[in-house]
Amino acid sequence: MANHSQFGFQDASSPIMEELVEFHDHALMVALAICSLVLYLLTLMLMEKLSSNTVDAQEVELIWTILPAIVLILLALPSLQILYMMDEIDEPDLTLKAIGHQWYWSYEYTDFKDLSFDSYMVPTTELPQGHFRLLEVDHRVVIPMESPIRIIVTANDVLHSWAIPTLGVKTDAIPGRLNQTSFITTRPGIFYGQCSEICGANHSYMPIVVESTPLNHFENWSTLMTS
Amino acid sequence: QSFKLLGFLDVQSVPCARESVLYGSVGSLVVGLGHFLATSRVRRSCDFAVGGFICTMLGYWFYCRYNLAQHRIQQRMLKEGMRNKILFEGSSLDPERKQTGSERSDS
Repeated sequence: MANHSQFGFQDASSPIMEELVEFHDHALMVALAICSLVLYLLTLMLMEKLSSNTVDAQEVELIWTILPAIVLILLALPSLQILYMMDEIDEPDLTLKAIGHQWYWSYEYTDFKDLSFDSYMVPTTELPQGHFRLLEVDHRVVIPMESPIRIIVTANDVLHSWAIPTLGVKTDAIPGRLNQTSFITTRPGIFYGQCSEICGANHSYMPIVVESTPLNHFENWSTLMTS
Repeated sequence: QSFKLLGFLDVQSVPCARESVLYGSVGSLVVGLGHFLATSRVRRSCDFAVGGFICTMLGYWFYCRYNLAQHRIQQRMLKEGMRNKILFEGSSLDPERKQTGSERSDS
């Protein structure tokens, strides 16, 4: 989860998010180079006397056409690589459905028989000591770690969005439409997210919590939930 | 507390950023001073210094990130290999067992 006044990304917990963080660092470095150049040119302009002697500027026109093209290539190539990587669908080990309602999420593990549950936010008045306000839920989404998981996201009423920053996942939940996303968690843990599409009065109070556990723990949990 | 260059680049937490900026600064000084010593033209030397900064910084950045990516791939392969060794040690799928088995059959 995010710390208070956090400005940057959360630590990545999936390979895609790791790639996104790296690309973000790369884009910032390119931005630093461009800003340095612009700052220098601005300083030059401020120190220069105004003149109207320039009639021909073929060389500088060539430079300020070629340079932006190079910058675009530097940014577009890794960006497209990650974009296509995000669309790769390995054979998922588990498929589950996330359905947005006003104002809670419900999850269906259709690979199992009769495994579905609603996930409501724990109100602040009922929150145990040490738990996170506005982030904890009564039933977490439990998944096996280091396994490709496919999530099919939809909604029951209005638009919602199923998002978990540390996994690099954000998928719109649209009524009447099934959107698919997939991810792999690289480590066990509890990952928090919040609804990311305005959906009414309690839009801020329908969090998402994913619990990534070793396979044997996941099997125990699924047995418990189906019994 | 993090130090953000120009207000947005956190040089302390981004891998390779600090070295890129430092090498860029050194490169800028070398190119700018070198050009000035050779030509005694201040204005043009400043242009070369800025160009040197950008080129050195970006050049080292790409070199460092490429090496970092290779290390990460090697780390993943090592982690996978260690996990497979623990999982399959002593079983029929153990690659070391297969190797010793083939050495025995050769001899």
